Amino acid sequence: MRIVRIVSAFLRAAILKETAYRAELVGNLFRSVIGIAVAVGGLAVVFSHTSELSGWRLEQAMVLLGVYYLVQGIVQTALSPSLNEVVSEVRKGTFDYVLLKPVPSLLLSSTRRFVVWHLADVLLGGAIIAIGLIRLEAQITFGVAAIFVGVMVGGVAIVFSIWLALTTLVFWFVRVENITMIFQLFFDTGRYPVEIYPFWLRQLLTFVFPVAFITTVPAQTITGREPLVAIWLAPLIGALALLAAARFWRIGLSRYTSASS
Amino acid sequence: MIVRRTTLAGALALTRAELADMFQYRVVLFLYSLWEVVHPIVYLAVWGAIAGEGEVGGLRLSDFAAYYLTFMLVSHVTAAIEIYTFGPMIQQGELSPHLLRPMNPVWVAAARNISYKSVSMLLLIPVWIGLVIILRPSFTITAGSVALFLVALVVAALLSFLVGTTFALLAFWTTRSFSFWEIWIGLTFLLGGQVAPVELLPGFVQNLATALPMRYTLGFPIEVLLNRLDPGELALGFALQFAWLFAAALIVRAVWRAGIRQYSAVGA
Repeated sequence: MRIVRIVSAFLRAAILKETAYRAELVGNLFRSVIGIAVAVGGLAVVFSHTSELSGWRLEQAMVLLGVYYLVQGIVQTALSPSLNEVVSEVRKGTFDYVLLKPVPSLLLSSTRRFVVWHLADVLLGGAIIAIGLIRLEAQITFGVAAIFVGVMVGGVAIVFSIWLALTTLVFWFVRVENITMIFQLFFDTGRYPVEIYPFWLRQLLTFVFPVAFITTVPAQTITGREPLVAIWLAPLIGALALLAAARFWRIGLSRYTSASS
Repeated sequence: MIVRRTTLAGALALTRAELADMFQYRVVLFLYSLWEVVHPIVYLAVWGAIAGEGEVGGLRLSDFAAYYLTFMLVSHVTAAIEIYTFGPMIQQGELSPHLLRPMNPVWVAAARNISYKSVSMLLLIPVWIGLVIILRPSFTITAGSVALFLVALVVAALLSFLVGTTFALLAFWTTRSFSFWEIWIGLTFLLGGQVAPVELLPGFVQNLATALPMRYTLGFPIEVLLNRLDPGELALGFALQFAWLFAAALIVRAVWRAGIRQYSAVGA
């Protein structure tokens, strides 16, 4: 209960702070619309030469693209602002103030900031998913929707874990401002179904750096395609990744010595 | 355009300094350049999945491999980074000291551009060679196409630099030059030969891509190298590439003059 109160206080503060930059909403919305229009245009070009891309129809690929933007929006709204701050605080030594507060450091470090304007990506991603599903005339039962949400939560948990693990490296290497680019590098392969990649890359993107579970698997679940892997694996891997990343965070934390000591 | 000898010496000195500066950030630069490797691989995978054992619009998997491997190098050489290197200088008032020097600050942008690319190219090439071994491309090149390619590549890099500088100069008027830049990036993605070689774009879009400048900063040199163009298309391509270069030079000059007139550093 206390955790909910803390997080909602952060969220309120973030919204208050960001309403000072209302024009940012317009700017971000504009950029998101362009980005998504270009991505859909790209799909149109690809599908002008084929009716199926590794078994995915245009509408299904659109749903997948929507999932990509949805996750991207969540990352930029809720994950990256908070965790990027950890990197600069550890460098400057002001991470002390996080440790001194009577709240678990991991909770505080990962929920402090919300850049609400990036919700534009979440909304537009949702819209693309909806358009794709309507054009597929998909029959979405309550059960399918529930599984989709579960798989999405698993995917976001995986994203969070990877991001947290990369951030935790700051306790060893200090100067890691750009390390989360590694995430973006892999994540960008998730704009298309993982089936298009050659065997070795597909394995890498499924089991080592599980982008497949972040975009392909959720899109499969809701468009009724044959699943790539057993669906229950997604939340399971998400939970395991979270545990591992939290453990890694604690190990990293024990190495923190503040600045100049 | 006549470049004075002192300007040239200054440009060289600037490049040396920027090179030393860039070399400090080699790890970050390596990550940036990996980015330029990932995107072509995604689209190579897309077209490879469609082509399978057959072909798409006359291109086989090995042709796509050659196209996108060349793409990696070309996109690296022609990348416009001025929106990151030059735009912030204007926004944060760091331009002022450079204005006191006896040469145009655009040279600073040029020096950064060249040193960034030299350092990261060194890091990129081993990765690229590895990919050539894995992906088995069929490079359909001839001595003539290599010669013409080098010309097209240099012009593409110049054109791209001028376009990038123009967008960076918008920082004189707006803090949102990034939004405009994103439109350009999006159009280059669709029409410049990134999502697909221009020859695979549907009819009217292909004509649009041929007329607009994006292809001449990216796709055109690749098509030249891999002999994808007949003599008529080649001539038209070079004519349009030089025409756009000339136009871009005029535009960047006009924008610079208009911008500098109403520039006031932060705090003025």
